[in-house]
Amino acid sequence: MVQLVGSLRKELADSLSTCKVLVVGAGGIGCELLKNLVLTGFKNIEVIDLDTIDVSNLNRQFLFQKKHVGKSKAQVAKESALQFCPTANITAYHDSIMNPDYNVEFFRKFVLVMNALDNRAARNHVNRMCLAADIPLIESGTAGYLGQVTVIKKGMTECYECQPKPTQKTFPGCTIRNTPSEPIHCIVWAKYLFNQLFGEEDADQEVSPDTADPEAAWKPEETAARATASEKDGDIKRVSTKDWARSTGYDPVKLFNKLFKDDIMYLLTMDKLWKKRKAPTPLDWHQLENSACPQEDSPVSGLKDQQVLGVWGHCQLFQQSVETLSSQLQEKGEGAELVWDKDDPPAMDFVTAASNLRMHIFSMNMKSRFDVKSMAGNIIPAIATTNAVIAGLIVLEGLKILSGELESCRTIFLNKCPNLRKKLLVPCILDPPSANCYVCTSKPEVTVKLNVHKTMVLSLQDRILKERFGMVAPDVQIEDGKGTILISSEEGETEANNSKFLSDFGIRNGSRLQVDDFLQDYTLLVNVLHTEELERDVEFEVVGEAPDKAPPPQTNQEEVNSITNGNKDSAQPSTSSKAPAEDDDIMIVDSDEEEGASSSSATAATSGTKRKHSDAETGEASTKRPRTDQLSAAAAPTDDDDDDIIALD
Amino acid sequence: MIDMIEKEDPVISEEEAAQYDRQIRLWGLDAQKRLRGSRVLLVGLGGLGAEVAKNLILAGVKGLTLLDHEQVHASEESCRAQFLVPVTARGQNRARASLERAQNLNPMVEVHADSDRVEDKPDDFFLQFDAVCLTGCSRDLMVRVDQLCSQRNIKVFCGDVYGYYGYMFCNLGQEHNYVEEKPKLVKPTGNSNDGPEAKKAKVDPNETTMVKKTSSFCTLKEALEVDWTSEKAKAGLKRTPVDYFLLHVLLKFRTDKGRDPDPQSFAEDSQLLRQIRDDVLEALAVSGDLLSDDFTSYCFSEMSPVCAVVGGVLGQEVVKALSQRDPPHRNFFFFDGRKGNGVVDFFGPK
Repeated sequence: MVQLVGSLRKELADSLSTCKVLVVGAGGIGCELLKNLVLTGFKNIEVIDLDTIDVSNLNRQFLFQKKHVGKSKAQVAKESALQFCPTANITAYHDSIMNPDYNVEFFRKFVLVMNALDNRAARNHVNRMCLAADIPLIESGTAGYLGQVTVIKKGMTECYECQPKPTQKTFPGCTIRNTPSEPIHCIVWAKYLFNQLFGEEDADQEVSPDTADPEAAWKPEETAARATASEKDGDIKRVSTKDWARSTGYDPVKLFNKLFKDDIMYLLTMDKLWKKRKAPTPLDWHQLENSACPQEDSPVSGLKDQQVLGVWGHCQLFQQSVETLSSQLQEKGEGAELVWDKDDPPAMDFVTAASNLRMHIFSMNMKSRFDVKSMAGNIIPAIATTNAVIAGLIVLEGLKILSGELESCRTIFLNKCPNLRKKLLVPCILDPPSANCYVCTSKPEVTVKLNVHKTMVLSLQDRILKERFGMVAPDVQIEDGKGTILISSEEGETEANNSKFLSDFGIRNGSRLQVDDFLQDYTLLVNVLHTEELERDVEFEVVGEAPDKAPPPQTNQEEVNSITNGNKDSAQPSTSSKAPAEDDDIMIVDSDEEEGASSSSATAATSGTKRKHSDAETGEASTKRPRTDQLSAAAAPTDDDDDDIIALD
Repeated sequence: MIDMIEKEDPVISEEEAAQYDRQIRLWGLDAQKRLRGSRVLLVGLGGLGAEVAKNLILAGVKGLTLLDHEQVHASEESCRAQFLVPVTARGQNRARASLERAQNLNPMVEVHADSDRVEDKPDDFFLQFDAVCLTGCSRDLMVRVDQLCSQRNIKVFCGDVYGYYGYMFCNLGQEHNYVEEKPKLVKPTGNSNDGPEAKKAKVDPNETTMVKKTSSFCTLKEALEVDWTSEKAKAGLKRTPVDYFLLHVLLKFRTDKGRDPDPQSFAEDSQLLRQIRDDVLEALAVSGDLLSDDFTSYCFSEMSPVCAVVGGVLGQEVVKALSQRDPPHRNFFFFDGRKGNGVVDFFGPK
């Protein structure tokens, strides 16, 4: 005789009260999830989040109120949940899940792990920890109106990293420095400029004209000549932007004239660039000042931030923000650096002003601060209802897992509009693990193409092993018969190796590196393929990702919001002092019918990489796009961060 | 209603801009302003009602009235019911008990609690609202309120959750106007003699345009009284979600017993459900095979995650209708929590 406790069979209800579950993330999905778990009868819940509460969270992270701004999300979420279920046993951790304290043993305490994350680095990491501990993982994501949920079980389903995910979109250096054609290029440039003037100077974030631009040369030999010339051209080029700015006392007018007049005039001398492009027009501060019209004081019916300033308005904004930032820098003292943060008004003002001035120079329509903030800050629009739906689905999948019904688990996609089979929620059968996955197969292996003479050990560690391959603390041994240790995860042990090149250690074409991340219980064999022919701005390539698995060409909307050349969605968590990277990835499913850009599916039908995916009910194939990294949310009319993301509308 | 925006306070405060930032970036400022000018009536503060309340309050409507005559049940395990009622509120009226937490979700919304029976409300009570959302109501009541409201251009929504199953219905009137955002087509300009980039500025590829559209809805009565005896209807049965018929069964149970299936009387109620199924399918002149006995095990009590899903969809439909932006789901949404299936389908006169 069936016995029910509420809606559930008694056996299931009983197991809910004894089992332990882990929720990773207490943001948009996390708050909704915690509520559902508690109301469904889960008694022992642990929740972890490194973030604190921001006012922009309050439109959906309903466990938080205005009075909680600044406090720990995990902690306040726990307290609020206890309000409506005082008998629940909730443990909150204000910490990063990537902290080595949360080792495989920690994960083994749980029968189920549920992700409610907003960045790939953490997802990769939790994926590996759950594989190592052999605990089922429910993965999810939302962006705007779209969302999805899926189940990951070692040996039974694909792991999170089985399908190659498109890496963060980056723009070529010469596009940023010489020939921007879209607002996003100007915004990236402005963020680089911020770092060059006030923050950590990065050789990959140059803002000055790129003389070695291959497009600028009338003859191929010229490019090489220019490249060596700029390397040798001692004095002027060697002085760092920051030093130069300091020498002028951060005089806004002097900075303005260099960046928006002198440098542009230099670009104009590279005439081949402008043969088929509209040439930039340099700005002159004093000219603009003299011809500026007094601002009309029209009643603001919209958001102040959604107004688009005029050129002179941006000049003034540039001046004000430079003055504020330079005095901030001075206050911090010798060797200080500022970190760009979209929620820091002068930093945001600076990027708004600088990017717009550059847009104007390159004949693009200028943008409001609101729009610039979206792009510069990688903001993903987010609402409560999408998160509510996804969190509900997560718990339903969780109940199947706890009932031992893994075969009934599904990947479920939430569309914006019903597909041609009238489905708004589309369940799909889970795929088995991929045979070439470099994470979940028994002996994972990859081949990486790079230049052994030009790749530093530090680059290998940070760019390749951490960013690209998602490791947190890699240990690297060369398979040279001597077991030479190249990189040790112990701090300081192999620091001396950092600036040496791989070839210095005898690494050459065909060399093999054994890479271990002991925390993740993960060993990866890296085959080195030496090459002298990599594309400009490309440091390495992962071989074996066949063209048909390459990410689909992004639509324009995706590109625009795909944002910054920064490490926003690298395998490393964001280094911003405030909220972590506002991104999230979601798999966008397109049913087999074509859908317009305004409908549910994120990308237009330009994908060449649709995979057939069985609709759970009808067995019909529905196409699935590979997970895209960032997609723009439904564009607001003014168009244009946040947890649970990405989807296109 | 698209003209209503002129009547509202055009200025959006700094506080609102900061709090609603992430949703303004999604649906735009105009939509947010319309929400800000809308008053909604929510009937029933059970599991589904609480979810809808949360979603609408967070979205930033002008006012939300919580109407529920029921008391917080002493028998329900307090942790399973809903998250707006404090554990200490046993015996209190459910709407009043939910008020404080609901208000704290967003102090910028005017939240009211009303403990009257909705059946006792005079017709003109409903006229003060822009939208009405009915949960936990009997079929007759829903039909009556739907009739009354849609005549006055008040948007009507109904929804319920029964165990793993849930549905949402809406009637936005015979002429619901809304806008849809479409990407702007970039036409090539210039002579064919010019080079590919020509000497022109590149158009911002992200430009979109708002297209005006209209959608038409039928009444709940019409939607529930579809005639299945015609040949055409019978042919269409194959593509019809069985949830529609399940809904008829559950609504009849509610009418006959004055309550929903109760886990405490599982055996008795299961039997009754099967009986009602037989009667209903026969009366509708459709095959008894449409609904197997299975369903009876899974339609007891309001499951929290199912309330979250249905409440999320329903909440978003209310937001869309009030903001007059984006195509509404027409006119039913059915969710099957066992399969993870969510379908939208139209029932009513063609």
